Amino acid sequence: MEKKQYNPIELMACIASRYLEDGRLIFAGTGIPMLAVSLAQKIYAPNLILVYEAGGISPEASMLPLSVADSRTTYRAICCANMPEAMEMLQKGLVTYAFLGGAQIDMYGNLNSTMIGKDYWHPQTRLPGSGGANELGSLAWKTLIIMNHNRRRFVEKVDFITTPGYLTGPGARERACLPPGNGPHLVFTELGIFDFEEKSKRMRLKSLLPGITREKVIAETGFELIISDKLNQEKEPTPEELKALREDVDPWRVVLSRGDNDQ
Amino acid sequence: MEILDQGNGEIFSKITPDEFRRHMFAKAERVNLDKRMDLREAIGRFIKNGDYLSIGGCGFVRLPIAFVHEVLRRQLTFRMAAGTRTFDVDLLLDNDRITELDIGYILGLEMLGIPQYTRIHVSERLSRGDLKITEWSNGSMAWRHKAAAMGVSFMQVRSLAGSDTFRHSAAKKVKCPFTGEEVILVPALYCDACVIHVHRADKYGNCQIDGMLNEDLEKARSAKNLIITTEKIIDTKEIRNDGARTVIPQFYVDAVVEIPCGAYPTNMPGLYYLDLDHLKVYTRAAQDRTGENLKKYYRDYVFGTKDFNEYLEKCGGLKRIEELKKIELMEGRV
Repeated sequence: MEKKQYNPIELMACIASRYLEDGRLIFAGTGIPMLAVSLAQKIYAPNLILVYEAGGISPEASMLPLSVADSRTTYRAICCANMPEAMEMLQKGLVTYAFLGGAQIDMYGNLNSTMIGKDYWHPQTRLPGSGGANELGSLAWKTLIIMNHNRRRFVEKVDFITTPGYLTGPGARERACLPPGNGPHLVFTELGIFDFEEKSKRMRLKSLLPGITREKVIAETGFELIISDKLNQEKEPTPEELKALREDVDPWRVVLSRGDNDQ
Repeated sequence: MEILDQGNGEIFSKITPDEFRRHMFAKAERVNLDKRMDLREAIGRFIKNGDYLSIGGCGFVRLPIAFVHEVLRRQLTFRMAAGTRTFDVDLLLDNDRITELDIGYILGLEMLGIPQYTRIHVSERLSRGDLKITEWSNGSMAWRHKAAAMGVSFMQVRSLAGSDTFRHSAAKKVKCPFTGEEVILVPALYCDACVIHVHRADKYGNCQIDGMLNEDLEKARSAKNLIITTEKIIDTKEIRNDGARTVIPQFYVDAVVEIPCGAYPTNMPGLYYLDLDHLKVYTRAAQDRTGENLKKYYRDYVFGTKDFNEYLEKCGGLKRIEELKKIELMEGRV
């Protein structure tokens, strides 16, 4: 097989960066979400206002922060705020996008980043927990999710709902007393892009990544996927995207190098 | 108020608003007292084994690592608040220094990688019941500190609902007495003690912090005892020249400890960037599932050093700090 010119993390970051509407407020988690948002700011959406949960608001793009709290999140920022204020911005409806990762996801976009195993008190593996994810997924208008795609991650039932997606389907968020009118919006993986069907709130394959077949996506997904009637084909990462990603966004390859083994 | 639903998590800190009021009244007698002392005296006077503790900073910014090392050396054990903790709480978890934990975020080193040993060790301690946890989120933890900083009993929040995070928290769902809508309440979190590392403080404990504030202002205002470790002690005249910069006023503070580079190897905005090289040494050691490499790390860097200064020397001393300062001031162009 011909060696690809990019690794899966570079691929996901480039594709996701194309889907952010400019001029919106956005929260991004550490890792691939931050890569995608930083790349979007450099090419497609220069007026995105990035808010970090520790309080950095709209820093001038410099190097990739290594944490949601390091001084790169406040470099020439418009404001050095605090955690309550950042979270209250979400709670008051100011924030359009929240961009998250996770260890497991189900067909309703419920996310697990707390523990793997069948018994909460005897975890096979304890994971970090919610962090800010529960607030981001509960309170932003549109949740974007980015993660690797395989049957261990795309599962029938997540071991723990850390962050609510559409829970059990239409109306479930509102019944649980979450604010109305928001929820998971798009999911990005190295295989495809997914949205959520309006009627059922179930995950739907919307677009295939270069060289990926729908059969491959179905084989790597542990639940029944809806397939869009108008299935799109994503374009390869462009040289401009890859150059900005490698030279400006993450020149140390702190995050990008994690995809090198999978190339 | 009728309780419609509730999480099954335990409330670890039992301090009530009235108990806190009485404590603060007594504490207010210590205004205009010179509170400078060394770290050992501060810990000895203001922190007890078994206390419910919160610590300042967040992610990799302003973590009070000099204090954490001293806790490891003295083998003190705490119950703790852990919204967005990384390197600091992982050090305490590696060494079984925590028995009860309110979790926002632990066991992750964000972009640096996964501390495999620490995760396995914590999973095993949870299974054995040696470590008790209650789930929260970074926002709900910040709001719990905020409610305590306001001197009240609880706070309404709009997150947590519908999730297993709620199920394993100690939050409650009730009917709002004003609107009749269902709302989520979280309990205020009053702490026995809090330790925060700041940029500048005067001898009385009036503090200035540069950069983002995380939930440190709320933590400072909701702990019975507060130890400030500071990069530098400044004259009160400097504080009075620009009172708007004082983010923690003296009457919350019990001890002021001058520890230059006290947040190393984490980031002190404007002074030094985080030391990625050293944090990678730790992360690589924590990735060894047997724990042997971590034992060596602790021998080399904590238990084999007599104090924090010796640790700094071992990591490259002032020369390394100068390099990290350049990285920081070149706005991160590394």
